[in-house]
Amino acid sequence: MDRSYKELLKLRRFPHTWCPGCGIGAVLKNVAIAIKELGWGYQNTVAVSGIGCSGRMSGYMNLDAVHTPHGRVLTSAEAIKTVRPDLNVIVLSGDGDLASIGGNHLLHTFRRNPDITVFCNDNEIYGLTGGQAGPTTPKGTKTLTSPRGEPYLPLRLGRLLTQQAPYFYARTTVYHLNHFKTCIREALLWKGFSFVDIISDCIELNGRRLGFKTAHQMFKWFDGRFHIVEGERDHLREDELGIAKAVLEEAPQPVEREEGKPEIPMEDLKSFTLEEVQRFDGKEGKPIYIAFKGKVYDLSASPLFQGEKRMRCHIAGKDLTKDIDMAPHGEDLIFKFPIVGRLE
Amino acid sequence: MKRLVSGNEAIFQGAIRAGGSYFAGYPISPTSEILQQAALYSGENPEFRFLQAEDEIAAAIATISASLAGAKAFTATSGPGFTLMQEALGWGHVVEAPCVFVNSMRVGPSTGMPTQPAQSDLLQIKAGSAGDYYPIAFYPNSVEECFRLTANSFNAAEESLSPVILLADAFLSHLYEMVDLERITIDIVPRSKEPLGKGQRLFTGTAHDKLGNVKTNDPHIYREWLGELKERHDRVAAKYPLFEYLPCKNSETLLIAFGITSRIVSSLKEHFSIFRPIRIYPVLEKELKDVTQSYRHIIVVEGNDGQYASWVECAICRKVMKVPCLGGGFKLKWIQSQIEECLKGAGR
Repeated sequence: MDRSYKELLKLRRFPHTWCPGCGIGAVLKNVAIAIKELGWGYQNTVAVSGIGCSGRMSGYMNLDAVHTPHGRVLTSAEAIKTVRPDLNVIVLSGDGDLASIGGNHLLHTFRRNPDITVFCNDNEIYGLTGGQAGPTTPKGTKTLTSPRGEPYLPLRLGRLLTQQAPYFYARTTVYHLNHFKTCIREALLWKGFSFVDIISDCIELNGRRLGFKTAHQMFKWFDGRFHIVEGERDHLREDELGIAKAVLEEAPQPVEREEGKPEIPMEDLKSFTLEEVQRFDGKEGKPIYIAFKGKVYDLSASPLFQGEKRMRCHIAGKDLTKDIDMAPHGEDLIFKFPIVGRLE
Repeated sequence: MKRLVSGNEAIFQGAIRAGGSYFAGYPISPTSEILQQAALYSGENPEFRFLQAEDEIAAAIATISASLAGAKAFTATSGPGFTLMQEALGWGHVVEAPCVFVNSMRVGPSTGMPTQPAQSDLLQIKAGSAGDYYPIAFYPNSVEECFRLTANSFNAAEESLSPVILLADAFLSHLYEMVDLERITIDIVPRSKEPLGKGQRLFTGTAHDKLGNVKTNDPHIYREWLGELKERHDRVAAKYPLFEYLPCKNSETLLIAFGITSRIVSSLKEHFSIFRPIRIYPVLEKELKDVTQSYRHIIVVEGNDGQYASWVECAICRKVMKVPCLGGGFKLKWIQSQIEECLKGAGR
């Protein structure tokens, strides 16, 4: 087996701090393998992590790594990617860090869609602090802070992150190794915000309380809970492992400015002097003309001018070019009206 | 060419002059104009990056991360936002990220009185984040100084490898003065830190040794690190012993005021001596000792309930009198009457 991925690990810092049987080791190793296979190295890759057991991952990678305060990992990664688009930014973090304390950042980083890859070690518990209920802890689970069973439904990251395109959301487990590797690779190659939800085990601080004796029993439990779905998917059900992605921008486009009327050559327009324009001030049934940027417009159809000489500070028959700076609206409001001539 | 410039614009232009290339912020009065200018500027100059973050926490974290990535980064906010940024401020000191935090103060605590000016975030610059850290903070009192000190803040940040705080107040942010920004010359310290993607370093908020290895149970390493941080900050702060001293011959009373209050009390310079600290933190201990020893009465006039006065008392080991201008009320007449009252009480 190719062991060159070990160049990406700070082996001098081993043994690591994680408990025996923990799934984080598998995440670290397989991410390192994937990075190595893509030919990336410390010159072009940066690892960012938050707080928690999973937050220690970046410190074991032989890359420039940033270890942020609790929950701020996505903001940090996005800022790094913004300043240095040439770097590949990977985020190594956990469910508590990303979805609970960093929940707001998760929503907004997802919305801004920076080209970063997020690996979420989703062990459904706060492991580092001793096993408190987290945002993804299933309802009814007994933890240190939910001794009678977690009373609330968990946050469904899969649904949350497939709300609006573009998105890349993969769910996998540390047990389904080949699927796990495919997900990591696809996520690293995705252009845009990609999120890999890695269902992982915390045997010491969650599994034992749930009645599991070994990590392998937890893996078997994952195998029973989830099944792999193949092919392109838009969404994943809660018991499915796979990749849901969408590139189409489904969000409504910003309102386009109304198409301008075909330009009439200036020479063809009837010419007015400012005095002539001033006569058309709407009095005695005359039309309302105003001058704007060298052209004369007929504003008689404007509901705001009707029957009156002025609309707030805009006076009929005047050159209103300078008024537009103070107006709460843009020029397009004037362009709607017919052009009747040009100003001398 | 001389033109009307607001304090906020001067701060932004000062940052650009210093080579600022990243701004992250969140709208808050009275610094929203800086955010707007950054947005406008980044539209015209794509190499200047801009982020309107989802909150001030994100804005501050993005600022520090951008700095680690190699940009000269800054952010601007007001008191309530600065409270949210405290986490990042502490982090910035540990990961040694040079950047600038602008805090234009308004009446607090909490939402307070938006947007009446105040000077009540002085303790927050020093003690808002957990643990010990030694920020450098400047406080201008004119539009031109806003420009100069913003650039100075960037320089001090590069030298101290830490976030530097530029204080202002709502008055100063919205103060318009005739300034010729182009003709002001300032020396700029270039980027001193290697950006990301150059090695195998770890930038962590956890206590660590010089190689970046996390060490969470070794007091020696921690003491060594903190000692170094303090020494570096003291050395950089010593480069900027900025203050203004207006002695008045026959006065036995020294007024200490800074920022907008110093502008207000400057009309009393015929009656009292005035000392204006520009480097707010670290406190100008030596300068304060030298200046204050020849005065019988010392009165600190400030827009809070004695925050700077407490630092002065510590520095000169003497009681001082206080005139707190609270709730955004900075009327000269009122300040004058309060000074008279102080002096009456002290038995002039």
